Amino acid sequence: MREVFGVFFLSRTLHSALMSLQGALRKSFAALQNHRAVWRSVLEECDPLMESLGNLGEQMQALSRVRVSDTPLGVFPDLQERLQFQLLQAVDVLLHRLWDRMSRLQAIRDSIGNQVSTVLQLYQDAADALGLAAATERSSVVPSLADMLGWLQDAERFYRRQFLQRKTLLQTLRLDDLAQVEGASKSWKSLESPDSEQQITDNLCRLSFFMESQ
Amino acid sequence: MSSSSTKFSAVTGSARKIKDNAADWHNLMVKWDKLNTDGFQFATNIVNMRNSQKHHQPLEDFPSASASQTFPSAVQQQAAAAAELQEECSKLQAVVDQMVVIVTKMEHLTTIQRGVQDLEEFQFGPEGRTLPLCHSWRTKDFEESSQVLLAAFSQELKLKQVILQKLAHTTASDLHMVYLSCWLHQPFVPAQTRLALEALLLETGHRLL
Repeated sequence: MREVFGVFFLSRTLHSALMSLQGALRKSFAALQNHRAVWRSVLEECDPLMESLGNLGEQMQALSRVRVSDTPLGVFPDLQERLQFQLLQAVDVLLHRLWDRMSRLQAIRDSIGNQVSTVLQLYQDAADALGLAAATERSSVVPSLADMLGWLQDAERFYRRQFLQRKTLLQTLRLDDLAQVEGASKSWKSLESPDSEQQITDNLCRLSFFMESQ
Repeated sequence: MSSSSTKFSAVTGSARKIKDNAADWHNLMVKWDKLNTDGFQFATNIVNMRNSQKHHQPLEDFPSASASQTFPSAVQQQAAAAAELQEECSKLQAVVDQMVVIVTKMEHLTTIQRGVQDLEEFQFGPEGRTLPLCHSWRTKDFEESSQVLLAAFSQELKLKQVILQKLAHTTASDLHMVYLSCWLHQPFVPAQTRLALEALLLETGHRLL
């Protein structure tokens, strides 16, 4: 008698449904671990880019406050426009690189979403047959189906929200609002949600026995 | 850099000269870029030192006599700071001096290019040779390209010389930032100018099509 969930007298079809659901869950959590690592590394690539963006904002602000023609640089009549142009070009290059990272984040969000909806579908197909007892049954080392599905959904929601917030920040960046550009790096950093991240990590920790067992 | 094998076989002296010219231009720009990076570091140091001098707090607040033996006096501190600043200015000066050398070499390359152009006009008349030396550029195109690059770097050098002279003499932080921006972003050598060099290298076979 398999005692992974301590459920006795399961019919063979129910048992195989349960096994395949567990397998799908293991696969999803393993995939989630990978996705999280890639997400983190892509975000780390964004940090210096955002910092440079803020830096350029600072430079553009300084330029806007200086009348170049009144300074020793006034011997170069078109310098103000030329420098302005260079700074805007540099911002453009940065934004390109940032959007490139954003599309990688989007791919991760989509992958997680697909994984989760696949597992949820599997569960829904077997839900009535499994019944509430099987879904909520937990042991000291293995969480319940309901819990695990819930955690998957929490993770999916977290990454969906993170992506949307970051995408919105970049989309609403206005180059004629230099204070906003200068503060972009700080705003970006403020989108971090360490508590939610920790929650996902904790949940994944609770799964270690489940992940190792077959 | 790999050289192409086909069109630019470099049998004629002119073709050889143009090809070597292009390689020299590339090397000069690589050197320039390195100097620009080094110079930016020194310029940033100068600005930071000026800022800390602005906010300098004298240590005369320390009352005890023994303190003056372990802590340098305000005068000594200021002298040390001035020496440090002077050193960074010298380093920046050295960078600009080397950039002057580079622009001089660029002038030389442009003169050589004009020589090639003049020779061709002499041999083939004002229209130049009928079959181009390279893929599609006339010899005149090389000369014009050289002129454009030379003008850009000459102007950029003038800008850097102004920055060198004025950087340590101001304390206005916005102007400091503008000086640093100018040094870093090189407004007279925009990306388009560098593309001109890339085109030059392509034509002469240093970059494969």
